[in-house]
Amino acid sequence: MEVTVDGRAVEVEPETTILSAIRAAGANVPTLCFDERQAPFGACRVCLVGVEGARAPLPACTTPCRDGMVIDTQDETSRRVATAIVELVLSELPVAPEPHTELATIARSLDVGTPRWPGVTHTVDHDTRHPYLAFQHELCISCGRCVRACDEIQGAFALTATGRGFAANISAGLDKGFRDSACVSCGACADTCPTDAITEMTLLPL
Amino acid sequence: MTDERFDSSVTTTCGYCGVGCRLEAHVRDGKIVSISPALDGPANEGHTCLKGRFAHQFSRSRDRLTAPLIRESGGFRLATWEEATARIVSELTRIKETHGPDAIAGLASSRATNEDCYAMSRLMRATIGTNNIDNCSRVCHSPTSFAMRRSLGLSGATGSFSDIDAADAAIIIGANPTEGHPVVGARIKQATLRGLKLVTIDPRRIELADYGVLHLSPRPGTNAAVMLGLCHVAARDGLIDRAFIDEQTEGYEELTELLESYAPDAVSEITGVPAADVETAAHIYGEAQNASIIWGLGVTEHKYGSEVVQLICNLALMSGKLCRAGSALLPLRGQNNVQGSSDMGALPDTYTDYRRVDDEDVARSFEAAWGVPLSRTPGYKVPEMFDAAVAGDLKAMWIFGEDVAQTDPNTTHVIKALENLEFLVCQDIFETETTKYADVILPASAFLEKSGTFINAERRFQLVEPALDPPGSAKTDFEILTSMSRALGHDMGWETPSDTMDEIARLTPAYSGASHKRIGRTGLQWPVTADGPDSPTLYTDGFSLPGGRGRFAALPYKAPGDSADAEFPLILITGRRLQHYNSGTMTRRTGNVELVDREWLEIHPDDAARLWVQSGDVVSVRSRYGRIECEARITDRIEAGHVFTAFHFPEVRTNLLIGPSVDVNTACPEYKVTAVDVRPVSEEAARTPALAGQPSHT
Repeated sequence: MEVTVDGRAVEVEPETTILSAIRAAGANVPTLCFDERQAPFGACRVCLVGVEGARAPLPACTTPCRDGMVIDTQDETSRRVATAIVELVLSELPVAPEPHTELATIARSLDVGTPRWPGVTHTVDHDTRHPYLAFQHELCISCGRCVRACDEIQGAFALTATGRGFAANISAGLDKGFRDSACVSCGACADTCPTDAITEMTLLPL
Repeated sequence: MTDERFDSSVTTTCGYCGVGCRLEAHVRDGKIVSISPALDGPANEGHTCLKGRFAHQFSRSRDRLTAPLIRESGGFRLATWEEATARIVSELTRIKETHGPDAIAGLASSRATNEDCYAMSRLMRATIGTNNIDNCSRVCHSPTSFAMRRSLGLSGATGSFSDIDAADAAIIIGANPTEGHPVVGARIKQATLRGLKLVTIDPRRIELADYGVLHLSPRPGTNAAVMLGLCHVAARDGLIDRAFIDEQTEGYEELTELLESYAPDAVSEITGVPAADVETAAHIYGEAQNASIIWGLGVTEHKYGSEVVQLICNLALMSGKLCRAGSALLPLRGQNNVQGSSDMGALPDTYTDYRRVDDEDVARSFEAAWGVPLSRTPGYKVPEMFDAAVAGDLKAMWIFGEDVAQTDPNTTHVIKALENLEFLVCQDIFETETTKYADVILPASAFLEKSGTFINAERRFQLVEPALDPPGSAKTDFEILTSMSRALGHDMGWETPSDTMDEIARLTPAYSGASHKRIGRTGLQWPVTADGPDSPTLYTDGFSLPGGRGRFAALPYKAPGDSADAEFPLILITGRRLQHYNSGTMTRRTGNVELVDREWLEIHPDDAARLWVQSGDVVSVRSRYGRIECEARITDRIEAGHVFTAFHFPEVRTNLLIGPSVDVNTACPEYKVTAVDVRPVSEEAARTPALAGQPSHT
């Protein structure tokens, strides 16, 4: 079937997501909770796009294409919502994410500077008990990528989401830490983390 | 994407197991600071394990060899490369003149690149003039190579790891992928979660057994009977592909006669596997649209290991489960380049692509290329080298990247052989148990410091690129081997490893399309012709045997080389653990030691109770050949009557226990069946100290 992305027609297979169609068309839309190694999750709403005839912006990563769909990655409402989401996410962090992280990269691409909402930020909480993997819990944005990497790529099921609302975070082995959990130290969680909430000991800022 | 945290980043191929993960190695201040998986790596698809990703600190460990060492008055002294070269040239020349070239032997390394292994074999064949060249695949997958060539024609997996995703069912026999080949282990686990029907066959209840639909625990050394039982049920219940058998194979009638004696009841008698489980396993494999068989050293490291691989091929051939996606035979090669080191002809009887040294046309083509006369007499295999050294026939060895005194069986005999040599050259990155017996130690390079190619378990050539320079005055193996050869009077004429690959391609039709440029980021699976595509799936146009027909092998079950008796009532199985790798030379010099710092013996609760052993107690393990001590841990993942340990720690010299029994066709040692006596002793467990004064994150 055929869809149009920003005015350009592309041929796609049935079941293709809007995100894949956008990338096939050589266009781009920022993503935050998406990792091509994992099944699409659709939690963050940063990949919202406009679709002709739709009542509201649609998440590109989880929405399948329909024949003849007209997709607008520059849709104004979508970009405004995505930008606000990234700004809100950043407003919960006690420090700006390191420049190399995906979150910082997205913030730059959406032109989000210092968040306009001062208020409570997460308390700094580091766990460095494992020889290789470190938690910086204050940087967790609950995107779920680490948990899915552990489940869908490695199959260790060592990580889990904990807490609710502002207290939402991640935990290995019911807070026993990586070492005493089912973790096999593969590092897939650190590799996918968009904020360095899980990172390598060698890469912790000095 | 450039990352401001790193000075440089290169894409290379992992130097640990045979999965062949593509890695991005990131360098800061002359050290590896992080390794991440390459998203386009065909074998790992953006994943890797704790060895590939984290166990890289060894590369700048302060006890790396950084200058040549020469033995002098009982000890070693630092030497210049000129001194080391002079000593090697004078000693090898003297021995060659006095005793002939066949008094010298070389070992190439399955850890090294194809180019290094090819250079090593050329050094022995052309520079020295002997076919005494072998590599460590001898002690792991040589039976797989032998058997697959016999049954199907080529020495390699028939498909790719992607066949795991395409299969409806799979059998894993004698392999523990979640520990030994973690990235493939994870892939298999994910496949089972999506519905792959997995049958695991292993004396230990491996982790993947929890994800499979059926687990069989045969007695060690009885794999042949299990495979014959599966074939019996397949034949009896019509789970065969008659058209495939008629059109593409030969020898089926002979096999069916043999199979009559392997009804499930008879198999149960030999193996201890319930007859009903044999039936069920055969039906799961036979009824699947597509099914693959995966195996490891639990199949090969036996007296009849090569025959069991032929029996595995039988099952695939009679079921017609070959030559298409999802239906493959996938041996999990142990080391990063165990496939390549043999493909490159670092073997006593074959040149590249397994062409025999006594094949006149092949030998002439190498003589023409190298400009020297070459021997037509096959040389010593690894165990034969040690026998010859003990007998006094072999006078000198050049051991490259292998710690035979820790990893080879019957260690006492190996040490006697090394002591008996007049001259031993070791080329390695660390001092090892083996280098203790060396006369010259050459400081070499780790995989993170060299350029070349590895071939993974899918027959895929993949590029290796240097992230670091070798430390101190250590050199790349390529530089060492080519310059030593030049000093010995034979100039190989290569500037870079890329030139070596071009020569290999020129002299080997099956690899004629391989060049560093074409291998590129995503690799090439041999056979690959000069202008043609590579070969993810083999035998789509018939088997590589006369008439294009696969060959059935009618081989009966025979008892293993060792068995339990009153004095040695338990059977010891050896294998690997997730956190460490083989002799542990690399992983013991990384933070992995903080995760696992010692060896232990796995023992069943019934045996432990009988012997008054508790978890954490130190036990003595004695075989007919030696004795070790290590900690015991009680687990019901092993059957009563069997015990298990690994061989990653020199504090526990597991291979002292292993006897001289070897595979009948390939001389691969029988590591997996050793009768032992276990009893408690009052000692502290031996362990490797964590990196002293070296915080893990620096």
